[in-house]
Amino acid sequence: MAAQPSTIIEAKDVDFYYPGGEDADSPALSGINLTVNQGEYVALVGPNGSGKTTFLKLLNALLIPTHGQVLVKGISTAVESTLPEVRRVCGMIFQNPDNQLVATTVEEDIAFGLENLALPPEEIRNRVFKTAALLGLEKLLSQPPHLLSGGEKQRVAIAGVLVMEPECILMDEPTAMLDPAGRRDVLNTVRELNRNRNIAVIHVTHFPEEAAGTDRVVILNEGKLAADGASAEVMTDLQFLHGLGLQGTTAVELAALLRQDSFPLPPQILYNRELVDSLCSLGQNS
Amino acid sequence: MFIGTEQLTHTYMPGTPFATKALHDISFNFKQGDFALIIGPSGSGKSTLIQHLNGLLKPTSGQVVFEGKNIGSDKQELLRLRKRIGLVFQMPEEQFFSETVFDEVAFAPRNQGFDENEVENKVIEALEKTGLDPNELRMRHPFQLSAGQKRLVAIAAVLSLNPEVLILDEPTVALDTAYRKNLFDLLTGLNHKEKLTIIISTHHLDEAAALADRVLVLKQGELAMFGPAVEVFGRREELYSLGLALPPVTEIMHGLAEKGMPVSTSVYTLQEARREINKVKRRDRS
Ligand SMILES: Nc1ncnc2c1ncn2[C@@H]1O[C@H](COP(=O)(O)OP(=O)(O)O)[C@@H](O)[C@H]1O
Ligand SMILES: Nc1ncnc2c1ncn2[C@@H]1O[C@H](COP(=O)(O)OP(=O)(O)O)[C@@H](O)[C@H]1O
Ligand SMILES: [Mg+2]
Ligand SMILES: [Mg+2]
Repeated sequence: MAAQPSTIIEAKDVDFYYPGGEDADSPALSGINLTVNQGEYVALVGPNGSGKTTFLKLLNALLIPTHGQVLVKGISTAVESTLPEVRRVCGMIFQNPDNQLVATTVEEDIAFGLENLALPPEEIRNRVFKTAALLGLEKLLSQPPHLLSGGEKQRVAIAGVLVMEPECILMDEPTAMLDPAGRRDVLNTVRELNRNRNIAVIHVTHFPEEAAGTDRVVILNEGKLAADGASAEVMTDLQFLHGLGLQGTTAVELAALLRQDSFPLPPQILYNRELVDSLCSLGQNS
Repeated sequence: MFIGTEQLTHTYMPGTPFATKALHDISFNFKQGDFALIIGPSGSGKSTLIQHLNGLLKPTSGQVVFEGKNIGSDKQELLRLRKRIGLVFQMPEEQFFSETVFDEVAFAPRNQGFDENEVENKVIEALEKTGLDPNELRMRHPFQLSAGQKRLVAIAAVLSLNPEVLILDEPTVALDTAYRKNLFDLLTGLNHKEKLTIIISTHHLDEAAALADRVLVLKQGELAMFGPAVEVFGRREELYSLGLALPPVTEIMHGLAEKGMPVSTSVYTLQEARREINKVKRRDRS
């Protein structure tokens, strides 16, 4: 049965056990059912060890489900011969860029995946330069990647995936090592790719602000799906988040404290601006 | 001067085409017992500076000073120095090489020539200081631990020598919010109870800003700001122009102040913000 055209990713009853893992009987993931459509921007959230990285690796066919199936545009990740297509559709950005920078210069590194696509050299250069400019890497193009600082390396790794113009980008805490400006750059860039080119994004993050900025939040806890809903709803349910050891955005956290002090704040406050506006309008009424 | 630098300049690979001036003419001084913060965009020289402070890197010119004395290059002296000034690298768990947690933490004391009885005591004491249970964990393989536990083992490995100064390079990278809070609680305890001087680089200002006695800001290898937290975080526009951010709560306070609410903007924690907003609003009503 073919997947619907708009579906990019489908996980069906997925269990995953790490072979030879310490707890061979306890699965890293169990009973996962999830569908991600073209152009969706999904945050994947959960405590350390909840299975987020494992799940992304399943989507990229780096791991194959122990039970159940992962389909990428209808293609099972368990089929060897279609792996290149699966990995073209779903580009992956790892948490630590050190393991994914392979070439001798930044320029070659960004171009690395393109070399296999039989594009004219001009086109390769153009795409590499455009992507480098987007991420502020123009000046580093001739540098050897291992000489860059951690943040610089991560932006090169991101450029290497963006340049392939994938249909879905899997990002495993891509901003963990970036400074605030680098984070904003990357988030804006990914958001733009998502909006303008309809690329789906699955974004693992510990930053509540980043999760709040997506369309949909999926929460994993101890290998199971704990929540799946609109960001504005999941990320304002503080009781639920705290119960899993997670946090809301600063605005959500502060609003909750002020409600305890009887400030009549509306329940849907998610961002700083909403909290500021609400507090200021309270002042005018009283 | 307790710990700091005088006109420190560092060039990587001087005299080659890849020569990079990572630090230029840096002079500052942290006091004994300080909780000090080093911030700056990625590539600004934080890790390079940090590695000078325990003699891992040698200045190209200028001096690193500890207790009023220049750090030289005598091997024995450096070994003694590293006992007193402990350094936890960024993502330290990636450099684990032992088969058990015990051996990982025991490495430095053994290296310093303590006998096995003393080593045992030091390992147990260090693990306990980080809140890890030595009995439960000592024989476990480091890779079997959770992300947060691994980070704590890496810190215990450095605490095993009872340093007077603890330096951590981006210690909260890739930790979930619960582990992050736990880590900052640990550092606060070491600073207050054990009187350790703590120096950290971080982009996570949620917790760090409120703890900081002194903040050093780097910009492309130069000292951009140095002073108490209120002074540095008071220079909002400059921080923005460097691509840095204010602590998240402080942003909200600025938002309120800009709308005419007479709140202090030198506020770094949720509880401070709550008190400040209550104070102003109560005054409003009466
Ligand atoms: N290579 C591995 N071998 C055995 N167990 C693993 C391996 N990688 C991860 N695990 C375990 O699987 C679970 C989920 O890990 P992971 O997917 O890395 O979580 P997260 O990314 O949410 O922090 C954890 O219990 C972890 O210890
Ligand atoms: N081992 C190295 N060799 C050459 N250049 C380096 C090395 N490490 C860092 N650099 C360069 O030095 C500058 C400062 O880097 P770093 O101290 O890592 O900054 P930060 O920790 O603030 O990100 C950057 O331009 C970086 O590219
Ligand atoms: Mg992970
Ligand atoms: Mg660094």
